[in-house]
Amino acid sequence: MTASTPERTGKVATYCYQCVAGPDLLKVKVEDGVATAIEPNFDAQGVHPADGRVCVKAFGLIQKAYNPNRVLAPMKRTNPKKGKDEDPGFVEITWDEALDLVAEKLTKVRAEGLLDRAGYPRLAASFGGGGTPTAYMGTFPAFLSAWGPVDLSFGSGQGVKCYHSEHLYGELWHRAFIVCPDTPRTRYIVSFGSNIEASGGVCGVWRHANARVEQGVKRVQIEPHLSVTGGCSAEWVPIKPKTDAAFMHAMIYVLIHENDRERLDVPFLKHMTASGYLVGPNGYYLRDPDTRKPLVWDLTQGKAVPFDTPGNDPALDGRFTASGIEVGPDEAIFRHDGVEVATSFQMLLDHERTFTPEWAETICEVPAATIRRVANEYLDHAEVGATIEIEGRTLPFRPVAVTLGKTVNNGWGGYDCCWARTLLACLVGALDVPGGTIGTAVRLNRPANDRQSSAKPGLDGFMDYPWNPTDKENWISRPQIRNANRTLVPLVANSAWSAALGPTHLAWMQQRHRFENFPEPTQPDVWFFYRTNPVISFWDTPAIADVVAKFPFVVAFAYTHDETNHFADVLLPDCTDLESLQMIRIGGTKYVEQFWDHQGFALRQPAVPAQGEARDFTWIATELARRSGILEKYNQAINRGAAGVPLKGPNYDFTLDPATPHSVETIWDASCRAASAELTEGEEDHGLDWWQEHGFRTIDYPRLQWFLYPHLVDNNMRFELPYQERIFRIGQELGNRLHESGIDWWDRQLLEYQPLPVFHDFSALIKSAVLSNLGGREEDYPFWLLTARSMQYSWGGNVSLQMVREISQNIKGHRGVIMNAGRAAELGIEDGDLVEVRSPLRETRGRVVLLQGIRPDTLLMIGQFDHWITPYAKGFEMPSMNSLVPMLMDLTDATGSAADIVPVSIKRIGGAQ
Amino acid sequence: MTRYAMVVDLRRCVGCQTCTAACRHTNATPPGVQWRWVLDVEAGDYPDVSRTFLPVGCQHCEEPPCEAVCPTTATRKRDDGIVTIDYDLCIGCAYCSVACPYFARYKVTERQNAFGDRAIPNEDKRADPGKIGVATKCTFCVDRIDDGLAKGLKPGVDPDATPACANACIAGALVFGDIEDPNSRASQLLRENESFRMHEELGTGPGFYYLWDKKQ
Repeated sequence: MTASTPERTGKVATYCYQCVAGPDLLKVKVEDGVATAIEPNFDAQGVHPADGRVCVKAFGLIQKAYNPNRVLAPMKRTNPKKGKDEDPGFVEITWDEALDLVAEKLTKVRAEGLLDRAGYPRLAASFGGGGTPTAYMGTFPAFLSAWGPVDLSFGSGQGVKCYHSEHLYGELWHRAFIVCPDTPRTRYIVSFGSNIEASGGVCGVWRHANARVEQGVKRVQIEPHLSVTGGCSAEWVPIKPKTDAAFMHAMIYVLIHENDRERLDVPFLKHMTASGYLVGPNGYYLRDPDTRKPLVWDLTQGKAVPFDTPGNDPALDGRFTASGIEVGPDEAIFRHDGVEVATSFQMLLDHERTFTPEWAETICEVPAATIRRVANEYLDHAEVGATIEIEGRTLPFRPVAVTLGKTVNNGWGGYDCCWARTLLACLVGALDVPGGTIGTAVRLNRPANDRQSSAKPGLDGFMDYPWNPTDKENWISRPQIRNANRTLVPLVANSAWSAALGPTHLAWMQQRHRFENFPEPTQPDVWFFYRTNPVISFWDTPAIADVVAKFPFVVAFAYTHDETNHFADVLLPDCTDLESLQMIRIGGTKYVEQFWDHQGFALRQPAVPAQGEARDFTWIATELARRSGILEKYNQAINRGAAGVPLKGPNYDFTLDPATPHSVETIWDASCRAASAELTEGEEDHGLDWWQEHGFRTIDYPRLQWFLYPHLVDNNMRFELPYQERIFRIGQELGNRLHESGIDWWDRQLLEYQPLPVFHDFSALIKSAVLSNLGGREEDYPFWLLTARSMQYSWGGNVSLQMVREISQNIKGHRGVIMNAGRAAELGIEDGDLVEVRSPLRETRGRVVLLQGIRPDTLLMIGQFDHWITPYAKGFEMPSMNSLVPMLMDLTDATGSAADIVPVSIKRIGGAQ
Repeated sequence: MTRYAMVVDLRRCVGCQTCTAACRHTNATPPGVQWRWVLDVEAGDYPDVSRTFLPVGCQHCEEPPCEAVCPTTATRKRDDGIVTIDYDLCIGCAYCSVACPYFARYKVTERQNAFGDRAIPNEDKRADPGKIGVATKCTFCVDRIDDGLAKGLKPGVDPDATPACANACIAGALVFGDIEDPNSRASQLLRENESFRMHEELGTGPGFYYLWDKKQ
């Protein structure tokens, strides 16, 4: 049985969560059972942060449902040979046949054991960007939960296309999986390549447009090309790619070395950060020998005291003579009696002393005067000392923010940039306060639906953090999944998201060559994938295709034929967005810039009948659970809340009989009732009918919870900045463990575990890494190739939709490779010419688009195209950088990510069409 | 008197084309026919470059050049300023397309589908033979306005009486309203901000105002 398939006329409320910036609410106009138009859901005015609007991607949903190129029946492969040039020979089969085929494999896996000889899960699964597929896969999370260990580590873009360093360090420092300005209150934003107008979704665009016009926000956009966001900014500063860290160091220099200390937020630095903590000669905090608490130099008493001594006035800068212990790696104790120590802030002052704007100019190719002006404008706008009242509570008001874009905050330099950005906020007291630089959501800490609750007191006055262990006894020496996330990246924690945030390219790389002294890189027996196309969306995409082609059994939840399911054994067509049923949580605070005054649930429901033999994902999940013998565990997982809401709470119980397969409607009716009850403490129990009529239901969400600062004050916590003692110690311990295991191929990554980031010219470092691994001379690759998100396409899975293609052509760069017009003239290249762009890995071709708004040494390929199977998209002839970027250990940072950048050459090979 | 107009805040527009898509849906225009779309305009030389997003379409002129050349009186300006086309009268001569300085008119000579020969259900449902072989353009969603007015709704305030592009705009850049009504949001914006109209020198009197800065 599938979800209801109405033949109705009217407007159907539903949600769009195609991109990470959602979910947003909409209505579908339906005439005699045919969807004819998408409209905002104006019932959500005053509830949804953008008053119920959806972005352009949602308007593609009608074509998405009716696309004649859809896979509309289950299919199986008849050609056992897999390869790019092999015809899979897909033939239609019945659902019974398809599900039995998959269940037979699953049952065999369960019989042989959930883990293989290397200790890796035999079942693997990959899902698309930012967790959005979860909003469409119905109860499949319950299936995965019931199954047991599943390897989610084969990335489809995670780590190489996301805000990786921000995700990890952001969660560590201020529970900020994503960081953004408090846009409705801020007045000055320094944006290092954050393309918020393209990737911030409806709420991001709505907030920033209001900020520009109503608050007069000045946003300085610092990036190599003039993006959509750059076009909407007050100023564009063209910076050499991947040199943002130097710019930020220079801003720090201007603040701490060129301005009076009183202009900074000294009380914030003293009492809300670890600036006063004393650092011993070995680089660890000087601690009280009895309590092990870090010591500060109390100016009142003139001696070192534990940081939490009541009434102490910690010295911010300076060197002192004090006694105590340092706790190093593996419980190494260094005892000191009358040794010279420095405050953490003094360490910062010393560390930044050479990073002048004049120095940065030589790295960034941005005039020193511009860097100095931006730094001083930031300080001028900070209003240090100002306050604001939020829901009756007086909080600091610091209307300045620093944001980072994708390539800035992943790969080498990501640590430096995230640290510098967070420190810039701390220097003026702007971290997670109104107007300042704030976080949006947590994904590694728990609970996931509330940032404040996820921040619990830990050691040394900081928030606790779920580090993966690095001590001898508990280090996870045998990776649990193929990207070895918990083994190699202590910061990645251990939540449901941690697999996707590990070094996901390592999972692919290991399939090609084994890493020394590491487990055998086995293949998963069964690989599922959904709403992702890694053969297009990852790097070195031909290599990904080779790996996928060798997987023994691949199950694709298929929309159309595409480049990854070309290698599948079974295609299962699930219902699209407008055809299926699911409830999700909405509201609270969520990336990219969703800040609601409400929280609750929204329903996605069939606006039109399912096309062909497509089935609701919940039906598919239930059938797979039943046929593979895990139905009872599956139902129990649903009862526990794996479908989004626990079916039993303090005041209600809508649990399902675990022994029986339930219909799609039964499952979601129970979820609806539980959601109603959860929101009303058991007062309401509205079922599916009510939710289908109303679409969403919310209760208030306190605006005070948008900010972490008041929670930290209330719980005597402080931000773990500027000095990174824990990172330093954990890095040492991790190195010890790896070396004890004979692993030295992670040594370069270990060097990043520094208490204060050691500056490198990351631009030069990346070029050197590529050339040293793949060969070639630097002068042969004089350009940097970058990418940028497209609002019309990003995360949408909509490349096969005509309307999206048509309207995207109105935006520059959606026709080919963007190049600086002046530089092109020097090379005899004219607009529209066919060009070849070559990296040391391989080459690609496309039409050139000449613009002034890009550095002469930079090329830009928007989005991810280069399709060769996907219907409609395969005719675009749009180049993609993904096939040109290598997966290399030397490009991998300590968090396991790498950046979307590669050195290339360009040459004309044909005239304009 | 009533004068309906569109006020576009260029400081807000991000060029996302959500208005373009909303118009395509509401008016069921065929592939390639964009009654509302947004230009992506670059100006200057590197490194002093600006990028501006400029929503365009029929300007609903006070003196519509398209009306003057129409041999059948199919094109008319209503008393409320909206320029309409009577498809029953239009003979598809395309004089209007040539006369329009804003490139706002379209004419398709045969039915077109998103996926070639394979019409999809919404295209079959919304297919309108009356729009084949005639000039078409933005109508400010005149049907919505008239239906809304009949229900006592206010254009520019109530979504059901407001053009789809303005409803859908995710930046609040498109504001529709009666600029003869001093209390309308559109009038308020024009009072408070500097604005211009496109090709004003041609004397067409566009009903499309672009805001670019606050009045000092």
